[in-house]
Amino acid sequence: MAKFMAILLDSYLEIKARKFFWVYWAVTIVMILVFAFLPNLEIDGRNLLKSGDIPPEVVAMAVANFFNGFFGFMIFLMVFGSAGMIPAFVSKGRIELSLSKPIGRIKLMLMKFFSVYIIMSLIFMVACGLIFAVMSFQAETYTTYFFYGLGLELVRFFIVYAILFFLGIAFKSTAASIMGYFTIWFVTGLLAGREVVYQILTSKIWKTILDTIYNILPKFSDLSDDLISVLQGQGIADYYPLWSSLLFGIVALLLGLLIFNRRDY
Amino acid sequence: MNDSVIAIEVNGLSKVYKSGMKGRDVVALSDVSLSVNKGAIFGLLGPNGAGKTTLVKTLLGALHPTKGNALINGLGVDNPASRNGVGFLPENHRFPNYLTGGQMLRIFGGMADMSGSEIKGKANELLELVGMAKWRDTKIGKYSKGMMQRLGLAQALINDPDLIFLDEPTDGVDPVGRREIRDILKRLKEQGKTIFLNSHLLAEVEAVCDTVAILDKGKLIKTGPILELTRVSPTYQIETISLNLDAAENVKRAFPHAEMKNNNITVTFEEPRQLNKLIDILRDGHVEITAAIPVKVTLEDSFLQLLRGEVKHG
Repeated sequence: MAKFMAILLDSYLEIKARKFFWVYWAVTIVMILVFAFLPNLEIDGRNLLKSGDIPPEVVAMAVANFFNGFFGFMIFLMVFGSAGMIPAFVSKGRIELSLSKPIGRIKLMLMKFFSVYIIMSLIFMVACGLIFAVMSFQAETYTTYFFYGLGLELVRFFIVYAILFFLGIAFKSTAASIMGYFTIWFVTGLLAGREVVYQILTSKIWKTILDTIYNILPKFSDLSDDLISVLQGQGIADYYPLWSSLLFGIVALLLGLLIFNRRDY
Repeated sequence: MNDSVIAIEVNGLSKVYKSGMKGRDVVALSDVSLSVNKGAIFGLLGPNGAGKTTLVKTLLGALHPTKGNALINGLGVDNPASRNGVGFLPENHRFPNYLTGGQMLRIFGGMADMSGSEIKGKANELLELVGMAKWRDTKIGKYSKGMMQRLGLAQALINDPDLIFLDEPTDGVDPVGRREIRDILKRLKEQGKTIFLNSHLLAEVEAVCDTVAILDKGKLIKTGPILELTRVSPTYQIETISLNLDAAENVKRAFPHAEMKNNNITVTFEEPRQLNKLIDILRDGHVEITAAIPVKVTLEDSFLQLLRGEVKHG
């Protein structure tokens, strides 16, 4: 336990020393201020949120879309905040010291992975939780669906961070990790709309190739749709995008560990 | 910890790197075998690129050996438990600059399985020892090279290790600091610690080590007690005040290989008693002798001779 606590402290201090940390809290504070004052704005002497003029399902959809976008933006910031953690940890002159401690390589790297994941998740939960609390207070409504959505986002961040972890170990470069991650993200976005592509590329081979790539890669776009459904209280209609994406994340994590275990430092 | 007297045992260790696009083999270590006794200060010497750091990194699990094996306290180096009770100061380290000195000791002490209270007491003691107590709460990013070496040494000692690997520990440290580090090493030896010192500073190794090994191009070319390498040779330098011409001629007749310069005579004897004969010749010639100094072969002399192949490897 002492070993994990030491790595957790190291990861916390490293995250705290990054600009990301302060940008994250600045965004959170701005959003809190927005929700603290905006709902009090009145148009023609009527408070829009409290007047009852807007149907509840429209409010639910607006809230769901807001949190889908906001969660996405926070994860975007977390990609930049965490992408450099693994390349820095395995950098020459630093990793030798960690490897000289009585900790097996797999255990060491798993501890590093989970320490970063736990701290990032806590920051994410606190920031989003505060915004949700202010929003709920102002709207005088409260929904548990937000917490399900938050849980789903933590799963999405696990997949994102597992990809960054793998790329960080494989390329030992923050820039390569970020570029690699956004390439995957971009490709998955295109593949989500592959039905349109099939109308142009009618060959069966193309369909097989694109379907295979779609099935292998994480499905960020589908997860985004799932998140909106969850936030609206409709649940997840199809679990395939979730579990197949999670599987991709686990494979990326295992591959990263395998490379780290075999590599010379 | 096992009861053996051997702290480190290396058997036929080889390390070959693949280099470049074509995967050309680069031999960093070739069939190295050595052992280090518990309580010894062992110096590993060699020119740049000899394989010293490769050997240390292999012993500490950062590199996978291509062939052979190594044991630390009786455990294979692929077993993380072999690194229990081990301290390490790497060469060209890059300590996390977002940490303060105190935080760094806390983190690396924790990674060596120490509790918070154990670390606190030990960290204070070690920061005092290496002269870094007043910099405890300063970020490492603001430290000079010498300060980082001192902190690195404290880090290597945080878990009160029995075996300490130091890779170029005085790199970037001023002469006063070097002397302090040397004194710390001697104190650690008195406490029965085993020290594996990797250095290219021969005077430093000569001052503290009792056993040395010399690596060249990945091969072990010499290993043994330092006294064997820094032996007193049968060469003497005789210093006089008034070496006159007659006396000089008599010396030259008796010792044709003697070299004379500025009233000083340097001569290598075949047997020790010949020194008395030389002194008698000088006294008979009314030469005033001020000193008869045995010329010591320094570690540097032996090292260079070995690398040039002037001395038989063994």
